Amino acid sequence: MLAQWKKSFIFGGFLALLVLLPLLTSRSDILTWTCLTFQYILLSQSWNILGGYAGQVNLGHAAFFGIGALTTRYVWLWGFPLPLALLLGSLIATVFAFFIGLPAFRLRGIYFVIGTLVLAEILRIIVDTRFPVASVLPAETLLTYSLVSRYYLSLLGAILAVFTVYFISHSRLGLGMRAIREDEDAAKTSGVGILQYKLSAFLISTFLAGFAGGIFAYYMVAVQPGYVFSPAWTFDSVVIVFVGGIGTIVGPIFGSVFFVILKQWLSLHLPGGLHLAVFGILFILVVLYIPDGFIELVRRFTKG
Amino acid sequence: MFRFLAQTLINGINIGALYGLAALGLSLIFGVMRILNVAHGEFLMIGGFIGFWLFHLYGVDPFMGLPMVGFFLFIMGIAFYKLIFSRLTRFHEEVKLKNSLLIAFGLYLIFPQIAMLLWTPDERAISPKYSGEAIDLFGLRFGYVPFWGLCVAVVTFLALYLFLNKTYFGKSLRGTAESWKAAKLSGINIERTFMITFGVGISIAGIAGVLIGMVQELTPIMGMPWTLKALIVVVLAGMGSIIGAFIAGLILGIVEAVSAIFMGPYTIAVGLFIFLIILMLRPQGLFGKT
Amino acid sequence: MTDQEAVMLVVNHIDVYRGGLKALWDISISLSKGEIIALVGANGTGKSTFLETIAGLLAPSTGMIHFEGIQINGEPSHRIVDLGICLVPEDRGIFPGMNVLENLELGAFNRRGRAEKEETLCFVYGLFPILKDRRKQLAKTLSGGEQQMLAIGKGLLSKPKLLMLDEPSLGLAPLIVKNIFEAICQINQTGVSVLLVEQNVRIALKVAKRAYVIENGRIVTHEEAKNLLTDKRVRQAYLGIHSF
Repeated sequence: MLAQWKKSFIFGGFLALLVLLPLLTSRSDILTWTCLTFQYILLSQSWNILGGYAGQVNLGHAAFFGIGALTTRYVWLWGFPLPLALLLGSLIATVFAFFIGLPAFRLRGIYFVIGTLVLAEILRIIVDTRFPVASVLPAETLLTYSLVSRYYLSLLGAILAVFTVYFISHSRLGLGMRAIREDEDAAKTSGVGILQYKLSAFLISTFLAGFAGGIFAYYMVAVQPGYVFSPAWTFDSVVIVFVGGIGTIVGPIFGSVFFVILKQWLSLHLPGGLHLAVFGILFILVVLYIPDGFIELVRRFTKG
Repeated sequence: MFRFLAQTLINGINIGALYGLAALGLSLIFGVMRILNVAHGEFLMIGGFIGFWLFHLYGVDPFMGLPMVGFFLFIMGIAFYKLIFSRLTRFHEEVKLKNSLLIAFGLYLIFPQIAMLLWTPDERAISPKYSGEAIDLFGLRFGYVPFWGLCVAVVTFLALYLFLNKTYFGKSLRGTAESWKAAKLSGINIERTFMITFGVGISIAGIAGVLIGMVQELTPIMGMPWTLKALIVVVLAGMGSIIGAFIAGLILGIVEAVSAIFMGPYTIAVGLFIFLIILMLRPQGLFGKT
Repeated sequence: MTDQEAVMLVVNHIDVYRGGLKALWDISISLSKGEIIALVGANGTGKSTFLETIAGLLAPSTGMIHFEGIQINGEPSHRIVDLGICLVPEDRGIFPGMNVLENLELGAFNRRGRAEKEETLCFVYGLFPILKDRRKQLAKTLSGGEQQMLAIGKGLLSKPKLLMLDEPSLGLAPLIVKNIFEAICQINQTGVSVLLVEQNVRIALKVAKRAYVIENGRIVTHEEAKNLLTDKRVRQAYLGIHSF
C-alpha cells in the first residue's frame, strides 16, 4: 500500500479542497449536497461507534438525533448563541441515552433494541401530537441565512466524527468495545467491564447524534418537529454504515457519499418516498451478501 | 358510575384481545427463532388491507374472509422466510440474530412505501353492514364487531395453545424454542420448523390486522405503532412466554382503557410508562422465566 | 462373522474448525457394527467437537465421513439422525421445560423412531424405571443422574444404529455412573453400536473394545482397550486425572 506520507498528503490535499470548496464555487446545489453528505457522515459515524465497534444495534438512533435537533432549534431561536445551543442539544440527547442505557444494558441485548425503538417512536408520536406545526426560521434570520457557514459547521461535524472514530479505534476503549462485539461472554470473563464500555460507546454515539441533530436544526429553514424523530434517520445511518463498511473508519464516509448521490438520483426518477423502498431492498441485499460492506469488497479486490 | 367503569372494562378487553393477538405472533417468532420481527406490524397492516379489499371488491364478509387472509399470510410468511431469512443460516448465531433484526428493519421501511404506492396513503376501514350494531345488556353496550373480534382472538389463541401443547409438531416447536441444539440432535428439521413458525406467526398477525381494520382505520403506516404495541406486550408478558403474551395484551388493553379516563390524548404514554417500569423492576415480565 | 466386523462408521482425515480456530487435525477413526469404542482425552482436547462433527452440527473443512457407505459430512443434523446416528451431548440435549414423557417422545421425531415409538418407550422404561415414575415431571426438576438417563433414553427413541455419548459420567456419583454404564452395555447388546467419549478413562476403557486417545485435537494412540488400561503412559497421564 501507499507510504504513510503519501497517504497523509492525499488526505490533507483532499481536506484542503473541501475547506476551499465554497471559495471555488458558488453553486448552491453542490454546496448543499456536500453539506448534507457531511451531516450524514457525522450521523452515520455516530451509529457506527455503537453499532459497528461495540456491536450493539440501536434502532432508535433517530430519537437522539431528534432530541438534539429540537433542543438546539429552540434554544437557538430563543436567542441563545449557537454554540451553546449545539452543546445543549448534544448533552440533553446524551442524558436521555444515559437513562435508557443504564437499565437496558444491564439486561439482555434484545431489551436495548426494543427500548431504543420504543423510545424513538414514542417521542415521535408525542412530539407530533404536541407540536404539529412546523417551525420556520423568523424573517431576520432568513435574510442572513448563509449556506457557507452551515457548510463549515457540517464539515467540522464530519471531521469531529471521523476523528472520534479514529481515536476510539486506536484506544483501549475501542479494544474493549470490539471485544464485546466479537464475543460478549468471553469479554466478560477476561475482565472487560461490559456495562461501562457499552454505556461509554452509547453516550459518545448519542452525543454525536445529538450534535448532528443540532446542525440539522440550524441548517433547515422549516422543519416539522416530528420529522426529526422519523425512523428514516435511523435507517439512513444504518444503511450507510452497512453499505459502506461497518466497524471501519472509512466505510461510513464512502457510504454517505454513495447514499447522497443515489438518493438524489433516485428521488428524481421515482415518485414520493419510493426511494426508501429501494434503499430497503439494497440494504437487505447487503446484509445478506456483503455484510462487511463495500469497503471490505474493495479491500479484498486490491489485495488479491 | 359502575356502568361507566364496566363499559370501560369491556372496551379494554375488546382492544386488549387485539393487542394480545398482535403480540402472539411476535412472541411465537421470537420464542422459537429468536428473531425480533420489527416488521411484524407491517404484516398486520397487509393482512388488514387484504381483508379490506376482499370485502370492498368482492363483498367477502371480513369474518368469513379470515381463513383466506390467514392462509395467504401463512404462505407469505413462508415465502419471506425461505427467500430472505433462511439465507442467514450460514452465519454464526449471534450475527444471524443481529442480521435478522436488521433485515426486519429493512422490511419495515419497504412495506409502507409499497403499500402507499398500491393503495394510496388514505385511511380505510372495513365496515360491513352490521358494523355499528350492538347488543344492550344490563345497560352495557356490547358491540357486535368487537365482540366477534374478541371471539376470534380467543379462538385463535386457544388454537395456538392446543397446537403447541397437544400436537407432536407443536411440541417440536416448543422444544426448538428451548434449545436449538437439542432439537437438532432429536432429528428435528430446524429450518423447516423456522419456516413454519414464521408462517404461523405472520398468519396470526394478518388475522389481527383484519380485526383491527374493523374497529380502527387501516393506513399504510400503521405498522410500526402496532409493532411497538406488540413489543410492549411481549416485554410485559416476559420474553419466553408465548401464551402469556395474549393475557398480557388483555391486561394492557384494560389498563389503557382505564387510564384513558384520566389521561386523554396522552394515553399513548401509558404503554411507554408500563414498559419502562417493567424493564426496571421486573425485566422477566409477568409470566417470564428468568 | 463378517457381519459383526462390517465397518459402519469411517472418519477419514478430517480437519475441523470451530469459531475460526482449528480444533481437530487429521482425525481418522473407524467403528464396526456392534462395537463399543471410546475416545478418551483431557478437557478441551476436541472430543465434543469431534462428536458434533459426526452429528452434523459442524462440518469438516477437509476429509470425509461415511456411515454405512453413505457420505455424511456436510449433511444437516436431522438427516444424520434419520440415517441412524444419535448424539447425546455433554449438556444432555434435553428440553428442561417439558416433562419426561414429552422429552422421550420428541426423541422419536425421525421417521424410524416414530414407527417404533411405543416399543422403544417400553424398552427405555425397562432400562431406566425411574423415568416411568417421573414421566409427568418437568425435566429440569430431575436430578443429574436422572437427566442423564433421560438423555440416553431420548437418544434411544430415535432408534439409532450408532449411539454417541459425550461424557455420560460427567458430574455424577460413582454408583449412578455404574448404573448408566451397565445400561450402556445392555444397549450395546441389543445391537446398537456405541461411540463413547469420556474424561473418566477408567470406566470408558472397561466397557469399550477399542479406544482412541486424543490430545490437543490429534489422535495420538489407537489400541485395544485392555492394552491401554495397562499402558504406563496412559495410566500416568489419564488415570490420575479421571476423578475430581
